[in-house]
Amino acid sequence: MIDRLPLPAQFDRLIIVGGVAVGLVMTPILFVLLALLIGDQITAAELVFWLAFTVIVAGASGTVLLNNIVHAALSLIATLLGVAAVYLLLATEFIALVQILVYGGGVVILLIFGLMMTNAQDDPVVTDGSQKPFAAIVGVLLAGVFLAAVIDAEWGSETMTVVPFRDFGARLFRDFIVPVIIVGVLLDIALSGAIVNARASRIEDVDADETTSEASS
Amino acid sequence: MTDLLGNDLNLQYELLGPEIALVITAALVLFADAFRRELKIGQSAIPAISILGLVVALLLSLLWIDENKDFARLVTIDNFTTFFRVLFIAVTVVVIIGSHEYIERRVSHLGEFYSLLLLSTVGAMLMAGARDLLTAYLAIEVMSFSLYILVSLAKSDTRSGEASLKYVLLGGVASAMLLYGLSFLYGVGGSTQYTEIAAALSDGTSTLELPLLLGLALIIAGLGFKASAVPFHMWTPDAYEGAPIPITAYLSATSKAATFALLLRWFAGPLLPAIDSWQWMISVLAVLTMVIGNLVALQQSNIKRLLAYSSIGQVGFMLMAIVTISDQTGSALLLHLSGYIITNLAVFMGVIAFYNRTGREEIVAFRGLAQTNPYLALVITAGLFSLAGMPLLAGFLTKFILFQSVVSGGYTWLVVTALLASTVSLYYYLQVIRQMYMYQPEGDASRWRLSPTGYLATGAMLVGVVWVGVYAAPFYTAADRAIAPLFT
Amino acid sequence: MIPIENFLILSSLLFAMGLYGVLARRSAILILMSIELMLAAVSINFIAFATYLDGEAFSGLVFALFVITVAAAEVGLALGIVLRLFRERRTAYVDAADSLKW
Repeated sequence: MIDRLPLPAQFDRLIIVGGVAVGLVMTPILFVLLALLIGDQITAAELVFWLAFTVIVAGASGTVLLNNIVHAALSLIATLLGVAAVYLLLATEFIALVQILVYGGGVVILLIFGLMMTNAQDDPVVTDGSQKPFAAIVGVLLAGVFLAAVIDAEWGSETMTVVPFRDFGARLFRDFIVPVIIVGVLLDIALSGAIVNARASRIEDVDADETTSEASS
Repeated sequence: MTDLLGNDLNLQYELLGPEIALVITAALVLFADAFRRELKIGQSAIPAISILGLVVALLLSLLWIDENKDFARLVTIDNFTTFFRVLFIAVTVVVIIGSHEYIERRVSHLGEFYSLLLLSTVGAMLMAGARDLLTAYLAIEVMSFSLYILVSLAKSDTRSGEASLKYVLLGGVASAMLLYGLSFLYGVGGSTQYTEIAAALSDGTSTLELPLLLGLALIIAGLGFKASAVPFHMWTPDAYEGAPIPITAYLSATSKAATFALLLRWFAGPLLPAIDSWQWMISVLAVLTMVIGNLVALQQSNIKRLLAYSSIGQVGFMLMAIVTISDQTGSALLLHLSGYIITNLAVFMGVIAFYNRTGREEIVAFRGLAQTNPYLALVITAGLFSLAGMPLLAGFLTKFILFQSVVSGGYTWLVVTALLASTVSLYYYLQVIRQMYMYQPEGDASRWRLSPTGYLATGAMLVGVVWVGVYAAPFYTAADRAIAPLFT
Repeated sequence: MIPIENFLILSSLLFAMGLYGVLARRSAILILMSIELMLAAVSINFIAFATYLDGEAFSGLVFALFVITVAAAEVGLALGIVLRLFRERRTAYVDAADSLKW
């Protein structure tokens, strides 16, 4: 049925099936949460939190489990946007904004570019190694340890401090001036690294070209 | 000026003079390389500018001997910082001089090479000086990022890109683990300042014991990776083999020393109150590292991989000093680090000179070196014997003092393991020496000479190895004075 | 009010999943994506601790901002190396990169 729908060719079946599946999973969760909200069992903030929680966990699973790498990249976008929602819940609008701009606008695009340039045909070949069972054991064990540690601890505080944007700037550019300078150096290093490695022609080729052009002129 | 919390901020930019000088030099080097034709300067001008900048940085760092100041509560300038600043600058100068010929012939992108070398030195210096988790983390990344790229710069060697990819991916995972650990430390300690974390941890953290333990385990895993401790060492042999040899030398010297500077700052400072939680972790790491590092070294056939595993073994010895941390073991560790770096650089400068001539790095290629170039064979032999811990050479004395301080710290069983591992190491160092002295040279048996810069670097390191081995008093005093600010 | 544990549970799950991805994936770019998941977990932790526990100082917020910056720089750097390796070997799979063996 899906094949006959008048859709552009890029909308492959998996995306549609995935969308329907996500809808089928998310709608009941949304309704349950709404019912709880109306029944005063949870607050609106908690409703948003659990929605974001579902999106993040589902997206992260997609990122690490899906065989089609483009779909994995799309799940990564969903995850990172969910993380931005969590930042909003933690009353840090600025970092949520940075998260969306840097990840949604930069990092993921870069990653997808990388995917396209290195593996143009998005065939669902096996993308995982034979170490999968080992990885699963390690992952589950670690998750268990982390959860135990986090739940066991008494963190002591239940109130959130809302940081004024103005104070954040003062703290960043006055109190943490050295990290700001260092990160400038760091970006410069990453830039030169990307240039020297990704540039197609090496120095010697350029030199050779120039000597030949000089010789001919 | 005060910060948002009312603390006094000391914004004396002179304190960061050496770092600023090196960053400016790095930028100059990039520009000089980009406009080499327009400026009509030769290729040798670029290392010359770098060395000039390093000398300026050295003089600027000597200004702060016996001071104890901090910059904006983010970087401490005390004798410890000064000690490591001088050490890192010296290593970079030796690497630049000793590998001048190698770099011109076998490294692509000269300008980037030198400028990244300088910037990674800046990162290492800041790692030693940081007094805030954020500064420390960014300093680690500055050093690591530069090294990821430097490893990839070997000209027309496909192993180089592969080594770099492995290094960058594993390094990213290690950074993530370190950061996750730091986030727990921040949650438990309530601050990113070393002093405040120390205060919070010694106040007691009974309700937060598990997160603290978890955070420590993650931090140790992340730093264990950077120091290439077993089982986080997988990247080391590959990165060492794929990198240009000068960078291998640099990795084994500066990146190790910087990680140990950070370990000392952290485990003698903010993490000291939690010593019961991490002491056993580090001792397990130390034993694994020295045993496995030295055993795997036995079956290597490539000199760079051999030296990689030997340096992993050495890390195991150094970790012992962190287990029994005190001002005594700390100063012994600083002394051993300096001795180890001089020794290792002697070997590497020899290997670089050899590679320049032959272009080979298998151990069997060293056959008959004693006949074709007795001086070079002598340098490499002295270095290898010093690594194995032979008397009259640097390695013996510094190792002896280190082991002795660990014994008096109450960890005799660790030292016994270390002595056994040391004996194993003698075997594989002797293998190399045997190739040089017991075999006839293959093929061309004519004598050959080193380049002038090769003589300068190897000669200086040879003198250093013997000097530390015979008369270590100045180094000992320096190490003592450097460690003092950490334990007051 | 959402208790802080909820955020920490979320970050634990995210970090463990990222680590699983790092161990299980073979493509360098997919490993990079998994590292991004781990770093997102780190940021959530830092921000949660900063807003709940650190009050006036909020150093964790600044830390999270820098983590995001460094993560972006790391992706750029690593992708450059992946592209170079792809040009040399025509592959982005890490276990095809196997000329270095112990």
